[in-house]
Amino acid sequence: MEQMKPILSVAQLEKSFGGVQAVRGAEFEVLEGSITALIGPNGAGKSTVVNLIAGALRPDAGQVHFRGVDITGYKPHQVAGHGLIRTFQISREYPAMTVLENLMVSPLGQTGEHLFSALFRRGHYKSEEREFVEKAIAILDEFGLYGMRNEYARNLSGGQKRLLELARAVMADPKMLILDEPMAGINPALISRIGEHMLRLKEDNGYTFLMVEHNLDVVERVCDHVVVLAVGRTLAQGTMSELRQDAEVVSAYLTGGSVGAGTKG
Amino acid sequence: MAILIGYLATLGVYFCIYNIFAIGLNIQFGYAGILDFTVITFMAIGAYMAGVGSLGPAQPGTEIYYILGLSLPWPLALILGAVSAGVLGYLIGLIALRRLRSDYLAIVTLAAGSIIYGLVGNNTKIFDGYEGLVGVPQPFNGVLNLSPNTYDLVFMIFAAVIMLLLWVLANRLYKSPLGRAMRATREDLDVAEAFGKNTYRIRMMAMVIGAVFVGIGGVLTIWFITALAPAGWGTSETFVVWAALIVGGMGNNKGAVIGSFLVAVLFNEATRFLPSINGLPSLIPEIRNICIGALVILTLRFRPQGVFPERKAKFFELPLTGRGREREHEVVVTGAEE
Ligand SMILES: Nc1ncnc2c1ncn2[C@@H]1O[C@H](COP(=O)(O)OP(=O)(O)O)[C@@H](O)[C@H]1O
Ligand SMILES: [Mg+2]
Repeated sequence: MEQMKPILSVAQLEKSFGGVQAVRGAEFEVLEGSITALIGPNGAGKSTVVNLIAGALRPDAGQVHFRGVDITGYKPHQVAGHGLIRTFQISREYPAMTVLENLMVSPLGQTGEHLFSALFRRGHYKSEEREFVEKAIAILDEFGLYGMRNEYARNLSGGQKRLLELARAVMADPKMLILDEPMAGINPALISRIGEHMLRLKEDNGYTFLMVEHNLDVVERVCDHVVVLAVGRTLAQGTMSELRQDAEVVSAYLTGGSVGAGTKG
Repeated sequence: MAILIGYLATLGVYFCIYNIFAIGLNIQFGYAGILDFTVITFMAIGAYMAGVGSLGPAQPGTEIYYILGLSLPWPLALILGAVSAGVLGYLIGLIALRRLRSDYLAIVTLAAGSIIYGLVGNNTKIFDGYEGLVGVPQPFNGVLNLSPNTYDLVFMIFAAVIMLLLWVLANRLYKSPLGRAMRATREDLDVAEAFGKNTYRIRMMAMVIGAVFVGIGGVLTIWFITALAPAGWGTSETFVVWAALIVGGMGNNKGAVIGSFLVAVLFNEATRFLPSINGLPSLIPEIRNICIGALVILTLRFRPQGVFPERKAKFFELPLTGRGREREHEVVVTGAEE
């Protein structure tokens, strides 16, 4: 089931904010076709690592390789152009655009984004636009948002916004998705729906995921591989059951009843 | 009768010009969220460059100095003005659009405007300083030999044609994927960037296109009044364009139309022709500014989206097949909300 080739590798990443050393040599790989979890206590540097991979922040040291290309120091849009799309910890839709339009923004390299086509050669992008609409509609249907397609995105509920983020990312046809706490603040029914969507996208579309997640139940159910981050370093890697055997991991993170009860988050 | 026609034609010209300004600002701010607090500088550069393009060379000994003086035919002067405004938009964008924060943008545009104002005013060698350019040749006037009032009418039609062309282009841009990407950068710059949009480039395009539009409005201005001096493009003029856009409604070019009519024509220009009261020469302009300010405040209080709010995007959709599954999804989603 698991292919052995790494699609993303992070080596010796370092990042400081003034005096705060947020990331201190984080190092891990994400295998192609896997769903990998990035876990760790609050302030461990997970979001910072996501930002470093996605180009939103520049690392002080270290490299990021994606699909064999050194993408260290790329601008965010260049990273996205290589097929790596990320979401933000707090869901951020385009509020004053409709749900359908939120998806229509996503496709990369649209013909109608060239000024000349936009102004003078509308025929050039019309058929492409039709295809995008059709695709967007199909995706919205998959995510149960079809009925909301002409609603302003700001009017969606918190859970629907989470679904919209995922749907919008799928519309971009990525190779890999990085999701920063995609299940924060939503109810259990929707959490399992999002988990199912991820499994479906992995199976059907061959997506790779890196997911920051606190809910260890979800991690156990959805993820193939787990990376534990603590104070900016990779503390351990492995499957969830392997990590449970690791005393160091348990003391650093999996304490406070989260292992046994599994209700953290 | 001829005077009335001339008066209405004058108002018509101002309507077209302010409409072009408002559409230009709409592309910058309404589409791409760029806080341009120096709209009027683009008008001035467009106007001046078309002016020195249309005028003959400055005569030595007249104490009037300006650059170029190319005696260009009007289409070339128009292009010179439009391109110059676009180049200025690009240069300001180079500084202002590098950073992501919008307050930074506002400060940079404001500062750039002040610098250019000082430069143009104090340096008599560029556009004759605070005296400004005068006697700029008008298009077709030499050929047609019309009476002033009739010429104003012809010019109004000319300005209306240009306005319509720009209006069509602005709407095409709005509806295109490029316009959509501009709106996405307006909504959330980081997200648009994370979705592969080169947001710097996209915003730069909005900045330059908007500047070109406003510059074309400037060219029409200097042709119509045949003169321009720094007193004619102070910061308060930028405020009038913003007021027109806010009152009319941002993100919708129809809003720019109604806003230009209400603010620029009814309040700003029509009141210029009211007889001034003896001993209180500045009373009418001040009342005008108070009225425009009040209109903006009332709009923001009671109809913040403006007279014509931005519309939802419409797409041509085929009906969805297999709706059963869809309904089931919706039940799960809505049923799961607390
Ligand atoms: N932009 C920033 N400026 C200053 N400090 C930051 C910034 N972003 C994160 N930090 C700090 O870096 C550390 C790691 O933060 P973060 O990556 O958000 O952790 P996590 O996502 O694992 O909770 C924290 O101590 C946080 O306060
Ligand atoms: Mg975080």
